[in-house]
Amino acid sequence: MQGSSRRTGTMTDVHRRFLQLLMTHGVLEEWEVKRLQKHCYKVHDCNAPVEKLEDFIHNINSVLESLYIEIKKGVTEDDGRPIYALVNLATTAISKMASDFAENELDLFRKALELIIDSETGFASSTNILNVVDQLKGKKMRKKEAEQVLQKFAQNKWLIEKEGEFTLHTRAILEMEQHIRETYPDAVKICNICHGLLIQGQSCETCGIRMHLPCVAKYFQSNSEPRCPNCNDYWPHEIPEVFDPEKERGAGLSKPSRKSLRPRQPL
Amino acid sequence: MPGAPTYPQFPLRAPLSGRRASCSDAEVPACRGRAPAAGDMLPKPRSRGRPSSQADRDGGRGGDGRAARSAAAEEAPSTSRGAGGSQDPRRSSSQGGRRADAPLVVGPRSQKQLELKVAELVQFLLIKDQRKIPIKRADIVKHVLGDYRDMFPDLLHRAAERLQYVFGYRLVELEPKSNTYILINSLEPVEEDAELRGDQGTPTTGLLMIVLGLIFMKGNAVKETEVWDFLRRLGVYPTKKHLIFGDPKKLLTEDFVRQRYLEYRRIPHTDPVDYELQWGPRTHLETSKMKVLKFVAKVHNQDPKDWPAQYCEALAEEEDRARPQASAPSQASARSQTSTRPPTSAPSQTSTRPPTSAPSQTSAPAPSS
Repeated sequence: MQGSSRRTGTMTDVHRRFLQLLMTHGVLEEWEVKRLQKHCYKVHDCNAPVEKLEDFIHNINSVLESLYIEIKKGVTEDDGRPIYALVNLATTAISKMASDFAENELDLFRKALELIIDSETGFASSTNILNVVDQLKGKKMRKKEAEQVLQKFAQNKWLIEKEGEFTLHTRAILEMEQHIRETYPDAVKICNICHGLLIQGQSCETCGIRMHLPCVAKYFQSNSEPRCPNCNDYWPHEIPEVFDPEKERGAGLSKPSRKSLRPRQPL
Repeated sequence: MPGAPTYPQFPLRAPLSGRRASCSDAEVPACRGRAPAAGDMLPKPRSRGRPSSQADRDGGRGGDGRAARSAAAEEAPSTSRGAGGSQDPRRSSSQGGRRADAPLVVGPRSQKQLELKVAELVQFLLIKDQRKIPIKRADIVKHVLGDYRDMFPDLLHRAAERLQYVFGYRLVELEPKSNTYILINSLEPVEEDAELRGDQGTPTTGLLMIVLGLIFMKGNAVKETEVWDFLRRLGVYPTKKHLIFGDPKKLLTEDFVRQRYLEYRRIPHTDPVDYELQWGPRTHLETSKMKVLKFVAKVHNQDPKDWPAQYCEALAEEEDRARPQASAPSQASARSQTSTRPPTSAPSQTSTRPPTSAPSQTSAPAPSS
């Protein structure tokens, strides 16, 4: 039975190896993805010119479409780095099977997610999350164990930990945005510029609209008097810099440790 | 590991994707697959995404959409593609069985539904294989197919085709008529892959390779006591926790056995009781005697031909694999291969030989007399 009768791209071993290796990460920064692509070309097809990444990914996605998987491109909320994640588009029970998490672990994640969404800063403290541990479904979990489970989530890039607080990893946002918006329509925050789900960002102290840090960076780029796009009041926060891939690579860091301009003051 | 300066590429064609080749269930599993994926742990029930049932509201089924996992395995999935894909999140999507209050889609299954089933099956196989535990047909039916169980052969065939075409994995039946399956990588692993992986392979593979080598060099079977005598020299003991391997005894006699890399059998009439270790069916599928011999040779910085008996045996196996076998005893069938690459890799439950594709490179020297 032919599954590829639609107008989709063609997979070659270059694409397959790329996909296999990408799957070992789950999420990768753009420069890492490019390096991966180059490697796969080298292994299989030295002479062919390396296709533009966007087209390369698009080609693979057209084939993945029938499998309800997609390589999605996103941008980190704190410093605007482009990243790619392999996301599951079908919210089926298989995702349940697929996750190696027990029922109580999933519930812990859900609780953490809710606390994150409800928070002003987009971060939920470890303490607050651990406080709900006795309300979890499934097997009883002790706080010590819960701490480890949270670490597991961080290791697997579903959560990010910063100074004892947790927020959603970009990977989780990419995979779950649709669902979060459907499930918590009243609690979610939306960016005024890109209209995407917002977990971390800056907000106008007057009218309350919010913007992602990278969106702020782009919107107010080289604007000496930044004003709220909605109410025109003076924008009180520090304007971050637009992410420049060249600068990052030049610094020779694989994981740029930029100061993240996360507004910590509550509204 | 002592001795060998750089470890040569292990000739095990395990799938490259997110795997921990070690498999103790007590370990933290890598959730490279779809870990807390959108719909599966949020309190509100998920929306149902059947294309034809936009208006199909089954009222009154609010409450916790997280029905028991196995029951929820039956539910029709929803897709959250694009902004327009969402529906009323408050509708329950758990199904379990038949509900009296909601009309059920019966009759011919649409292309779309079948496609989604295949997608689920592909994901299921990928995730399950991640643990290196062979996937049983019964699990597939229970957790994925449900009502579609009558279509098992067709859906499996389609899933196998997708796995090969999209990911480069062959779905193979572990042993004929066993109704258990594993994925074999049809891409050859390459040294540089190791640097680019997200999971840094597992050190336990090293131990496995050594034991596989030992077994082959000793005539395809080795007593457990001999294995420990050998490993002792490398600082690996059955009773002592190892810095890298953890519990070597458990690895060799339980984990690798469960993953079907090894077979562990009691030797009758031995006192004290002794066991024998042999290659398991997965090893036969994923690698070859020649590859293992080459690995052993490289570790010793010698040539495979320095072990003439083993070399001949490995050669004979290469020849066997290069031509289709007429008769297929159960072990040999796992090893036989055809020399042409078949268009699909669908496992057929009735064939005695899993269709395989020839390894694209084993440098099998020309057979001598």
